[in-house]
Amino acid sequence: MLVGGCDVGSATGKAVVMKDGGIISWEIIPSTTKPEVTARTVMNKALEKAGLSSITDLDYIVGTGYGRLKVPFANENISEITCHAKGAQWLLPTVRTVVDIGGQDCKVMSLGENGKVLEFVMNDRCAAGTGRFFEAMARVLDCGLQGLSELSLQGRNPATISSQCSVFAESEVITLVNEGMDLADIVAGLHASIASRLNSMVRKIGLVEDVVLTGGCAKNDGLAKALEDKLGVAVKKLPLDPQIAGAIGAALIAAERVSKRPVKAVPGKEV
Amino acid sequence: MEAKIKSKVFEQFSKASKTLLNPVLRNWKDQGGKIVGYFCSTVPEEVITAAGLVPFRMRATGSTSTEESDAYYSSINCSFPRHCFNLALIGEFKFLDGVICVNSCDHVRRIYDNWKRFVPGIPFIEVMSLPRKTEAAQVAWYRDEINLLKGKLEKHFGVKISNETLRKAIKLHNETRRLQKKLYELRKQEEPPITGAETLAVMVAGTAMPKGQYNEMLRELLNELRGKSGPGGHRARIMLVGGILDDPEYIKVIEDQGGLVVTDSLCFGTRIMWVEVDESLTDPVEALARYYVSERPSCPRFYGEHDNRAKYVIDMCREFKCDGVIGERLMFCDSWLVEHYMLGQDLKAAGIPMLKLDREYITGAVGQLRTRVQAFLETMGR
Repeated sequence: MLVGGCDVGSATGKAVVMKDGGIISWEIIPSTTKPEVTARTVMNKALEKAGLSSITDLDYIVGTGYGRLKVPFANENISEITCHAKGAQWLLPTVRTVVDIGGQDCKVMSLGENGKVLEFVMNDRCAAGTGRFFEAMARVLDCGLQGLSELSLQGRNPATISSQCSVFAESEVITLVNEGMDLADIVAGLHASIASRLNSMVRKIGLVEDVVLTGGCAKNDGLAKALEDKLGVAVKKLPLDPQIAGAIGAALIAAERVSKRPVKAVPGKEV
Repeated sequence: MEAKIKSKVFEQFSKASKTLLNPVLRNWKDQGGKIVGYFCSTVPEEVITAAGLVPFRMRATGSTSTEESDAYYSSINCSFPRHCFNLALIGEFKFLDGVICVNSCDHVRRIYDNWKRFVPGIPFIEVMSLPRKTEAAQVAWYRDEINLLKGKLEKHFGVKISNETLRKAIKLHNETRRLQKKLYELRKQEEPPITGAETLAVMVAGTAMPKGQYNEMLRELLNELRGKSGPGGHRARIMLVGGILDDPEYIKVIEDQGGLVVTDSLCFGTRIMWVEVDESLTDPVEALARYYVSERPSCPRFYGEHDNRAKYVIDMCREFKCDGVIGERLMFCDSWLVEHYMLGQDLKAAGIPMLKLDREYITGAVGQLRTRVQAFLETMGR
């Protein structure tokens, strides 16, 4: 059984191909301004990696993400909230709280034992705590996303950043830079401010371990550390790229549709 | 999922919900009739009707900008007064012969301050003082307020509002409430003949035309819908709970995801009609005061009533066989600040899932709304 999951997000497109319950390939590309094009390009690349020649080789495809309605080849679309939860739980069966930080929003989901979403909260129309926020800060500080993560871990006396708004935070950061404050402390402060925002979202639905981060920003170790500090519990690492959790979830739902029963967890299995 | 009622009379309701001065209202105006706008459903419409005027519930339908009004408000005011006052500033409310404001919340109260000072030419503008509690002392307070309003309307418009005309107005408005309730009864069906978006259009129209004429039209619609059923195919039955919502398009986004809205606690919904004004009291002003302060389903601007409100929602959910509740609130709305959080706890205990949404007055950011609603339906296994 061959199935696909295609997650067209605001910043990147992700595709996963699964065969008999295991991942055989995946791909991540930057999103274009045409979701159909992003979907097709990323899916074709994943198919190629898997050694498949055509999308028709797949038995079922689920689309997700902001562009989910525009995935031309999807049999069905499912919200990214359900997909991220599903993917995260498959990768780490003990997970009960998923913090997903995408390009333009962040969400927190509480999960039941079966990976079902019990409750979720989303940030509101604001870039704070999203990929866009970190991109903007990396630009202001001229350090790149990786540099941002590294600097954050080096901060000894994190600055207090009071603005949650990315535009205001940017001016606040510029003020601190011009006051000559240590870059690492500024960056650590930024991460702490975002982590505290995420913390209050988690508190809204209740903190239950294990906690994981998914989405592109989950690759930011500085953020994971800052979130651990705020939550007071460990943030577990996923065994695979956390950015593709949504696409994995979509592929898992596709597999369920074909087999009509839940797919057993084979965490991180790669053929 | 769209019932798409094919009905001439529904078309009129729909049109009225998408405009301010609808054809029926324009006709009234053309024949020399007068229209008085009022903010918030706690203003006793019946007194306006009894004065021979048509009450018009204020909304900012069709507003596209707050460019003119932003200067008058601070960054924590919600988008409703901004849009409403913007329309006032650009002359869109010139068809009104008067405006009655109320301290339903601070945002709305400030419309009064700004309007009185900065929009010249409104012939009649008053503000009512609405109490915050729902006990006998507050009923007495509001009774005085209603009498004051009555006197001011009489003086300005040169009319006499007798107990008899007030009683007649109460009867007429109660008739509206009964008919609207009948419409809601039809939504208890497994496949209701009318969607939530369509129902909101009917409800909004009821606040924008002479009640007598509206009642006739609504009776016609009920006759058309009786015995019919809708297309069905929805994924879940939803109860919508929140503050001012007058845009059917917002509900349509929810319904397009498969969440059929079958009932509500809204001030363009059941809160204005589920309970009737007591017609048996000898003093109609007392009856109105009791109704508006303590008898009708309350909104969170009233203190100490949360438990009753939660019970109302839970009972309503059971009566209409709802699978879940969606709570909507305007960003920065202080009245609904904590209500949805507490309601969510109460509903959880009752085993009813709830989705909480913040929104802007003019429906936008549809993508985010869609994602939330779709995910909510998915969490319900729908």
